[in-house]
Amino acid sequence: MNGAEKLGRRTDATIEAEGLERVYPGGLRAVDGVDLAVEAGEIYGFLGPNGAGKSTTVRILTTLLRPTAGHARVAGYDVVKQASQVRRSIGVALQEAALDPLMTGRELLQLQGALHGLRRAESRSRAEQLLERVDLVDAADRLLNTYSGGMRRRLDLAMALVHRPSVLFLDEPTTGLDPVSRSSLWGELRSLNDEGTTIFLTTQYLEEAEQLADRVGIIDHGKIVAEGTPQELGRLVGDPGLYVKLIDPSQSDRARELLAVHGSVSDRGEGCLSLRTVLGARAIAPIVRTLDEAQIEVDAVEVEEPTLDDVFLAVTGHRAEEPGEDGSP
Amino acid sequence: MSTSGLAYTGGVGFALWRRSLLELARVRGGLLPTTLAPLIFLLGSLGQFGRLDQLVGFPTTSYIAWLVPLSCLQAAGFAGGATGANLARDIEAGWFDRLLSSPAPRPLLILGPVMAAVTRCLVPVTVILAAGLVLGPGLTGGLFGIAMLYLAAVSFSIVASLWGITLALRARSQQVGPLIQNGVFVAVFLSTAYTPLPFLKGWLAVAAPYNPVTYVLQMGRQATVSGIEPSWAHTWPGLLALAGMVALFGLLALRQLRRVDR
Repeated sequence: MNGAEKLGRRTDATIEAEGLERVYPGGLRAVDGVDLAVEAGEIYGFLGPNGAGKSTTVRILTTLLRPTAGHARVAGYDVVKQASQVRRSIGVALQEAALDPLMTGRELLQLQGALHGLRRAESRSRAEQLLERVDLVDAADRLLNTYSGGMRRRLDLAMALVHRPSVLFLDEPTTGLDPVSRSSLWGELRSLNDEGTTIFLTTQYLEEAEQLADRVGIIDHGKIVAEGTPQELGRLVGDPGLYVKLIDPSQSDRARELLAVHGSVSDRGEGCLSLRTVLGARAIAPIVRTLDEAQIEVDAVEVEEPTLDDVFLAVTGHRAEEPGEDGSP
Repeated sequence: MSTSGLAYTGGVGFALWRRSLLELARVRGGLLPTTLAPLIFLLGSLGQFGRLDQLVGFPTTSYIAWLVPLSCLQAAGFAGGATGANLARDIEAGWFDRLLSSPAPRPLLILGPVMAAVTRCLVPVTVILAAGLVLGPGLTGGLFGIAMLYLAAVSFSIVASLWGITLALRARSQQVGPLIQNGVFVAVFLSTAYTPLPFLKGWLAVAAPYNPVTYVLQMGRQATVSGIEPSWAHTWPGLLALAGMVALFGLLALRQLRRVDR
């Protein structure tokens, strides 16, 4: 019986964990019984606020930290007993692109190649390929202390790809980047995934998880509190929503009474109402008719798709931007 | 195509050695602290204790001949200790995580910086030896003496770098930097740094014979001190002391490296 079967999971899972725990000296339980199964070729978004346990989970899966309980396998290898094989199979870009400011981009890529056992000539040519891929050819021979945040992130990604890993771990890869740099990195990640790379991505940005991830796990206080595709998670919020804006805010109370027959209504202030209804967009015509008959003028009616932010609020009781209670890693 | 075995080990070791030395090439005055401090000690101590060579039984008629090997050892120790401080910086910056997440065997991750420390220490040791020669002492020990002085200094830089690496891996903070250098300073100070064993008094007279640095200094002093003539008797205790310290601090560093993921 192999490890995956022992874990009772699909054997094609590239990243799998069962009952993963990490208690730091002092008693802080940063990861508390995490179960994961990420299939080959997936982009898995690991979402949670600061201190939720995302980075600690990534550090365990990338062999940088031992779990205090539970098991995990990456690319078919146990992260504790076969750490060296795991390291050969993965590319890692951790938080805060850790790059030596006294080296050039090209030197860093070649150093990474040496660490992964590439011959010098191959290391050089691989560095060239990757510099082109992440659009850093012009900056290749500049010291890192002249790079912008976006350039550093792109180089960090390139370094993680030097040995053509099958699994890529990215810990908050776009934190601190401007929207253009973020969008550029997203494009690169999609392209890598199209080439077959499995990507495990932690993020605090709900939009990032929605844009990139095939499936999303939401972690809070060290536990996975929800998991599924963004659409599946959206359904956790409940009925679809409609946003109704009245021209005259003083008519909000009357409108609220009238709309209550269509579903659950909440007043968002200044003439704006939210309506949760099983009918979704099909409720637009009836509610406009109802309000029109009551001579309540409507400024706008829009369908509100539930966001991961709504999901996060629904499953944890707090917004994703709020740090965990203990501020733990 | 990937390399294997010895080529891989050599490739990783060379890459990390080169990376550790880049700081010297790209930071102006990168070697100044480890060169200037022992040089200032040398000149200061010469002014303070320069007349000790007039004592009956002092093994040389030139006190600077007594001090030059000490300053060389200090320089080598400081250069080695800087390896630990640099590692602590790399740990804090996250760079060391990058190395740890690679498949490179863990001992190689410290071998490169240790070899860089050896390379780095050669510059201040040579500068101090040259300054000492300009100021007075001849090379009484000839080529053998010089070889022993360099061997003592280079090996001591390895000891100091392993000590620094151990502390850096344990503390994982740059705050450990002063402790690393203080350790080097104390180890050298509690020896026959300024006077021979028979001239020491009280607690230092008791402590110095047990300090391996005493014998490393004796080995190095074969180069410049006429009363310590080149001989196997003046060499083997130093070699033994260095081997013991390298083994001890090497094991401690490796032990700490194995615990880095805990």
